[in-house]
Amino acid sequence: MDYGVPAALGVAPELMEEVSTGTTIMACVYDGGVVLGADSRTSTGNYVANRASDKITQVMDNVWMCRSGSAADTQNVCAFVKNAVEEHGIMSGSDEPGMADVKLVANVTMQIAYRNKDRLSAGMIIAGWDRRAGPQVFGIPLGGSLEKCDFTLGGSGSAYITGFCDDTWKPGMSREEAEAWIRRAISIAISRDASSGGVIRLVTIHEKGAEKQMFEPAQHPLAYDELPVIRREEVVA
Amino acid sequence: MSGIGTGYDLSTTTYSPDGKVFQVDYACKAVDNGGLALGIKCSDGVVLGVEKLLPFKMLVPGSNRRIAPVDRHAGMAGAGLAPDARQIMSRARSECANYKSFYGDKIPSKILADRMANYLHMFTLYWSVRPFGAAVLLAVRDPATGKYELYLLEPSGECQRYHGMAIGKGRQAAKNEVEKLKLGEMSCLEAVKEAARIIVTTHDEKDKDYECELAWICDDSGGEFKKVPKDIADEAIAAAKRALEDDDAMDAD
Amino acid sequence: MIPTRVSHNPIIGPGVVPFGVDPAYDAQYKLNQAPRSHVASHGQGKPFTVEPGPHQRTQYPYVTGTTVLGCKYKDGVMIACDTLCCYGSTKRYKSVERIKKVNSSTIISFTGELSDFHYIVSLLEELDTTDYCEDDGSELAPWEIHSYLCRVMYNRRNKFDPLWNSLVVAGVKHGRTFLGTVGMIGQHYEDSHLAAGFGNHMARPLFREKHTDDMSEEDARKLMEDCLRACLMRDKTMMNKFQIAKVTAGGLEISEPFQVPMNWGYEKFKDPTKHAVGAW
Repeated sequence: MDYGVPAALGVAPELMEEVSTGTTIMACVYDGGVVLGADSRTSTGNYVANRASDKITQVMDNVWMCRSGSAADTQNVCAFVKNAVEEHGIMSGSDEPGMADVKLVANVTMQIAYRNKDRLSAGMIIAGWDRRAGPQVFGIPLGGSLEKCDFTLGGSGSAYITGFCDDTWKPGMSREEAEAWIRRAISIAISRDASSGGVIRLVTIHEKGAEKQMFEPAQHPLAYDELPVIRREEVVA
Repeated sequence: MSGIGTGYDLSTTTYSPDGKVFQVDYACKAVDNGGLALGIKCSDGVVLGVEKLLPFKMLVPGSNRRIAPVDRHAGMAGAGLAPDARQIMSRARSECANYKSFYGDKIPSKILADRMANYLHMFTLYWSVRPFGAAVLLAVRDPATGKYELYLLEPSGECQRYHGMAIGKGRQAAKNEVEKLKLGEMSCLEAVKEAARIIVTTHDEKDKDYECELAWICDDSGGEFKKVPKDIADEAIAAAKRALEDDDAMDAD
Repeated sequence: MIPTRVSHNPIIGPGVVPFGVDPAYDAQYKLNQAPRSHVASHGQGKPFTVEPGPHQRTQYPYVTGTTVLGCKYKDGVMIACDTLCCYGSTKRYKSVERIKKVNSSTIISFTGELSDFHYIVSLLEELDTTDYCEDDGSELAPWEIHSYLCRVMYNRRNKFDPLWNSLVVAGVKHGRTFLGTVGMIGQHYEDSHLAAGFGNHMARPLFREKHTDDMSEEDARKLMEDCLRACLMRDKTMMNKFQIAKVTAGGLEISEPFQVPMNWGYEKFKDPTKHAVGAW
C-alpha cells in the first residue's frame, strides 16, 4: 500500500499502518448495572504498539465506551461526544452533573459515526446506567447503526466468541456472574485472536458509580493447548 | 426632536439616558394591542387560549390560527403581530427538529425555552433588525420528567415559567381572573371552561367579531399538543357566552 | 469531525443540501472535502497523509438486511421480512424490527444498510411531525411517502452518496391500496406484488404463478409464507424469524415474530450420494 510518505524517510512499512484494528471488546447488562470488558493489545501491523492499553473510556460518570477500530478515530469521536454531552448537561440544567442519559450518549455517538462514516473506522459500544432506564448497552458498529442489546461484542476477537456468548448468556445475572462471564469470554478470544492480548480490563457501572478492574494473564482461565502463566517475579524470587 | 426619549427610539442599538431601549418597549405595545392570549397550567397539563380578533366578516372560520404545535410535545400561542408570531413558531419547529436529529429525542422544555429566548433576544441587539412585535406562550411536556410546563417569551428575549399568564388586550383583567383559579387542583377539562370564560368575559365589545381558539397538552390528549376537541371547545365557549348573557340580563334588571 | 448536515429541510429539499442555499454550509462542505487537496500532494513528500487520493463518497454497506416481500390482497396489502441484520456474513442482530410504521396508513421496510434505513426513518418522522404541526388531522398518503422517498434516493445517488437500501412502501388510503418500491439509485415502480433484494429471484416466480389482487387474506398469508420459505431455503443471510405487517382500510398491524415450518425429512436427503459416491 502507498501511504504517500517518501520511501526515503526509511520507516518500516508495517509501522506506517494505522494503529489498532484488532481488539476484543464487549459489554453486557446484569440485574443492577452493566459490565464493560476489553483486552489491552494495540497493534500496528504485527507489532504490538501497546500491550497495556485502555480501550474502555469514560464519557460521563455513568456512561463508558468500548472502542475498536482506528485508535485515532475513536479517541476523537469519544472526545467530541464527551464535549457534546457535557454541554447538553449544562444547557438542560441537569441536577446531577457528570451524569447523562445513556441513550442520549449513544445517539450522539451514532450521529457522529453515521454522518462521518466515509471518514471513520470506528466500532463502539456504549454502556451505562441511568436513573430513567437503568442499565443499558448499545452497539454502534462500523456503518453507524445503533442497536440496543442485552450484550454485544466488537473487534476482531468477537468472531471467536460469539458462539460461546450466545450459548452461555443468561438474562438477570448477578454482578459477580456477569463479571466472570465477560472475563471468560475475553480470555477465550485472547487465546485464538492474535490481535487481542494482554490483560483483561473491566468497568462495572451501577447506581452507586463505576469501578475499574484489571486481570493479568496469570488470572485468566487456562486455554486449551497453552501452558499455565508464570509470573516473572516468581522466577526471580 | 423634542420631548422625552425623542431621538433615542429609532434603534435598539441606542439606550435612552434613563436606560431604556424604546424599540423593545414599542414592540411590547404591539403585543398589548393584539388579541388576548392566555395559558393555564393545571394538575394534569396546560391549556392555551386565544381571542382571535376578526377584522373582516368574510374570513374563513378557523383560518389564520394563532395557536399551533411546534412538535408533538410542545405548542405555542401568539399575541401581537400575527406574522411575527408565526415566524417565532417556525423557528421553534426548526429547533425541535434540529435537536431531535442530533440527540435522537424530543427537545427538553428548558432547552427549547432557552433557545427561543436567545432567538428573540438576537433581534434586540442589531441596528438592522426590528424586535418581534409578538410574545408567545409556550406549553411543553418535558420528555424526561413527563411534567407539563408553561413559559412566556417576550420581545425583549425575556423568558419566564408561569403557573398562569395572560398577554395582549385585556391582559390585566384576564390575569386577575387566572389568579383566582385554584391552579394546582384544577384539571385541564375544567381549565378549558375557565379559559373560554375568561376570553369571553374580557372581550371588549367595541372590538369587532372574534373567535376563541383553545388548545391543550395534557394526559387526556396523550401528552401531545392539540386543538381542544371540537365538542369540548364548542361547549365551553357556548357555556361562557350563555353565562355572559345571563350576567348582562341581571345587570339590566 | 464536523457533522455533515443531512437533516430534512422543507425549504432546501429532501435529504441533501445543494450549493448556494446556505453559504455557511457551503463553507463547511468545502472544509469537509479536505482530502481532495491531498491528491495534488500525492507522493510529493507530505508526511502524515493517510490514504491520499480522491475522496470516496460511494460507500458499501456494513450491517444489512435481506429480502422484503409485499403483495396486495382483497382487503389491503401485506409485507413480510425476517428480523435479521447481518454484518458481512455474520448473523449479527437477530431481533431487528425491519418493518416500521410511518403513519396511520403507511408501513415501510428495507433491504440493505441498517443505518441508512434508520436515517430514512428519521426523515419520515420529521416529515410526520411537520404534518402534525398543521394540527388539521391530515397525513401523507402512502403514495406520497413513496414519491418523497424516490426523490430522497435519487437526490442522494446524484451526490454519488447513495443511501444503500431498497425500500418497500405499503398502505391503504382513500380506498386505494398502494404497494411500491424504490431502489438505491432512485429506480422505482408499483406492482401488485414485489420483492426487494434476493427475494426478487426466489419469491417473485411464486407470486407470478399464484398471486391475484382479489385473493383472501388467508390465501395471501399462505402464499407469503411459501415465498418466505423459498427465500429462507436459498438465501444464506435469512433466518427463520419473520414478521408480517398488513394495512387495511381499518388500520395497520405488525405481527409478532413467527416461524415457518420446514421439511428436511425427505427420503432422498438421507443418503444422497448412495448411487454416486463422492458426489455432493
